Amino acid sequence: MPTPHPRIAILGNRVSELNLVQLEHFTDLGDLLAVAVFDVLLLDMPGAYAGRVLSKLRTLPSYRYRLIYCCRDQDSWCEALGDGVCPVEASEIKARWEVWQERFSLLRQAPERFESRVLAWLWLRDHAQVCALRDPEVPQHYRYPLLEALADSEQINSFAWLALMVQQDWLEEGVLVDRVRLCPDCGSGRLNFIDVCTECQALDIARQPSLHCFTCGHVGAQESFLKDGVLLCPNCLNRLRHIGSDYDRPMENYRCRSCHAFFVDAEVQARCLDCGLSHTPDQLRAREVRDFRLAEAGRFRCRQEFSDHSGRHFGRLSLLGGKDFYDLLSWQILLARRYSPPAFSLIGLRFVNLPGTLSLLGEHRGHAFIDSLADRLKESVRETDRCSRSTEEFFWIMLPHTDAKGLECVKQRLSRVAELFSAPEVSDISLRVITLTAPQDLLDQENGELLLARLASELE
Amino acid sequence: MGPLLEQLYYALGELAGPDGLSRLFFMLFPLFLIFELPMTIMVLLGVLRWFARRRTSVPMISTYRPRVSCIITCYSEGMDVQTTLLSLCEQTYPGHIEMIPVVDGATMNQATLNAVRRFHVDPQLYPKRHLRPIAKWQRGGRVSSLNAGLSLASGEIVMALDGDTSFDNNMVSAIVRHFEDPSVPAVAGSLRVRNVWASWVTAMQALEYLLSIHLSKIGLGEWNLVNNVSGAFGAFRRSFLINIGGWNTHTAEDLDLTLRIKSYFKRHNLRIPFEPEAIGHTDAPVTLRQFLMQRLRWDGDLFFLYVRKHNHNIDPRLLGWPSFVMILVSGFFFQLVLPFIIFSYTLLALFVLPGRTLLFLFVLIYLLYLLITVLMFGTMMLLVSDRPRQDMTLGMLVPVFPLFMLFMRCWSAVAMLNEMFRRGHEESSMAPWWVLKRATRF
Repeated sequence: MPTPHPRIAILGNRVSELNLVQLEHFTDLGDLLAVAVFDVLLLDMPGAYAGRVLSKLRTLPSYRYRLIYCCRDQDSWCEALGDGVCPVEASEIKARWEVWQERFSLLRQAPERFESRVLAWLWLRDHAQVCALRDPEVPQHYRYPLLEALADSEQINSFAWLALMVQQDWLEEGVLVDRVRLCPDCGSGRLNFIDVCTECQALDIARQPSLHCFTCGHVGAQESFLKDGVLLCPNCLNRLRHIGSDYDRPMENYRCRSCHAFFVDAEVQARCLDCGLSHTPDQLRAREVRDFRLAEAGRFRCRQEFSDHSGRHFGRLSLLGGKDFYDLLSWQILLARRYSPPAFSLIGLRFVNLPGTLSLLGEHRGHAFIDSLADRLKESVRETDRCSRSTEEFFWIMLPHTDAKGLECVKQRLSRVAELFSAPEVSDISLRVITLTAPQDLLDQENGELLLARLASELE
Repeated sequence: MGPLLEQLYYALGELAGPDGLSRLFFMLFPLFLIFELPMTIMVLLGVLRWFARRRTSVPMISTYRPRVSCIITCYSEGMDVQTTLLSLCEQTYPGHIEMIPVVDGATMNQATLNAVRRFHVDPQLYPKRHLRPIAKWQRGGRVSSLNAGLSLASGEIVMALDGDTSFDNNMVSAIVRHFEDPSVPAVAGSLRVRNVWASWVTAMQALEYLLSIHLSKIGLGEWNLVNNVSGAFGAFRRSFLINIGGWNTHTAEDLDLTLRIKSYFKRHNLRIPFEPEAIGHTDAPVTLRQFLMQRLRWDGDLFFLYVRKHNHNIDPRLLGWPSFVMILVSGFFFQLVLPFIIFSYTLLALFVLPGRTLLFLFVLIYLLYLLITVLMFGTMMLLVSDRPRQDMTLGMLVPVFPLFMLFMRCWSAVAMLNEMFRRGHEESSMAPWWVLKRATRF
């Protein structure tokens, strides 16, 4: 049974204005670590200092997953590693801690693998992100402090690991922070862009303005026109007084001082300041720097992995991932168009307010509810049907070899699902259903993805 | 009938009589001889002196390269401002040039403001040219633009330039060399008409700019008698300008400033040279109406400044005798009195003299003026012109020029009357009414 109140400690110099019962005050990090672990930690110190303390705390197994709030200003380290600004109300801290505690209690033992540690950290708090931090000291310009803190002694390549996690659907991409260009050889982002000669690639080039005499048409370098402070055409010896009426500047040339070549546009090279190699700008590796958050699948995985209910919930319905389902659907559409009968049908279910209600119910009761929902769905779905969830609210069932009549039977069975939502605590959830039978209900040129988008908008 | 009218009748009767023509001739001729001929001779002698001096001078290489600030007053010129700025960037002057375009009423004149903003000074091509634009959101007039520019200017030399005037690339170096002499507080530059063949009005003005302004300023400048440092194109020593309080409100701020500088001539032994090699190209009014309105303003302002505003300044103890006499003759007599005399003579002759006499008299006067014009044009072509091929074509207009000048003299009289009775300077377009209203009335 969780304790009714979290044990809160405050680390810092100033005594907080928060009026909490179990508030213990520490001025030194060592003193704090010497005593038993607290549930919630408040850092009352300037942002820059708090950032350093946070990165230390997140490497320690005892405070790795705990809620840590910053009471003063926050720098980007605090944002990446902490839980944000300290709530003003003590009750708010308690509410957040309860959510955290409920999930934390499911972690029977500390995750051993790096991947699980990151996913667990994100899953323990709502709206948590793996934040990118700009740091001019690292060659790639950006780093992920959370990953570094949770890596322990493992050597990880943050960017490659994050790409892998996205590929496996555990994480999803958040805000695009920046796009950096890196040296293709050493991966450093410390590049110097230089103009060089197009012929011999020499660095020593100079702009050489040219003049065009209107009287005789002579074009030459400006130096050849300048005589004692006046412009004099070297060809016809006419005085050039006014730009536009006596002369103009026909071109802006570059001249290479080492090979004397003339060219209009200099070549641009990116010279890596770390490995010293030069590349053309299009050879550089462009990398998008983003924040990342836990994806739907990642959240499922956490629920399954950290609770002993593994292999339950919707997982039993052998859900297909978005892309696979689209492809399957597109293929069925092609089949139905080419060899008309037998037709196939599609059912779209929308559980309005499901995520909101789940978070209201809390972890345990939420799981129980989803279990019963999955049971009901499993009763309705046949062995040959294929299901997918595009978001938490949408559930799709594809019924091959099913015409309008067969669809009606399935629909009747599904209507019993709605009975689940009569209980008072889940009464906010309502079920909306849409059905479709191919090929008659299909639009021209429609593929799986477009079809789902159309049906989803009708369910809105 | 009063005795005065009786006398007038008598005089007119005499003129209409058999000897009337010779009488009239004698009445006219001395006037012309006394004032206009010495003036012309003085100008021509000055030009000759300038020419001889220039021919024999030893080329001098100076290391005097002060920073020059160009205040460019802009209003509704639009893209023309970019031509002005480009021509300043193109200067062959080896020192630094700071360009300060001041856009007056920038809220209204967005096109001009955008033209200034979009103008980019390539730091590699023009390393010593600096652009510091100023947007004056509320319209305040030319004087406020110039003073705003002056307050931010950092150069030792300050130039007051018009937004629609572009310059030859040796302009700055030609002007700056005069300032090496510490007794020079200001230098006048020369203006040419850019749109010469846009209409007959602009062509006539082009010739007028060459003969009456360019040539006579060379002559007068040689004797330190330059009458005006043009508002569209003048250069000043900043320290001096700040000491005398910058530009003053009212119209004709250029002539006003020249007069105020001249009032230190006697005490500090100063001089204002004219630099014929510093040439600006400006757009002249194209239609007759625009042209007449411009001259109505210019000639009216003369009266306002000489008679109303600066009548106390015109004193040999301040100006020195040469400048005093010059202002008396050219400023007062030529520009304020002579138009009336010519105007009334012409009217009188038209009504009183019999046809043949009138014709003879006019032909005589015309020939005299034509002679002077030909003389001046010849001098200009032979000794002065920096673009002889281009100026040659203006020779076609020489026969018409005396008539044009007669017409202009008559119009001058109208302008003067407008100022005298209607205080025309108060309706100037150079500043908004809410500024002019507060100015001291003279």
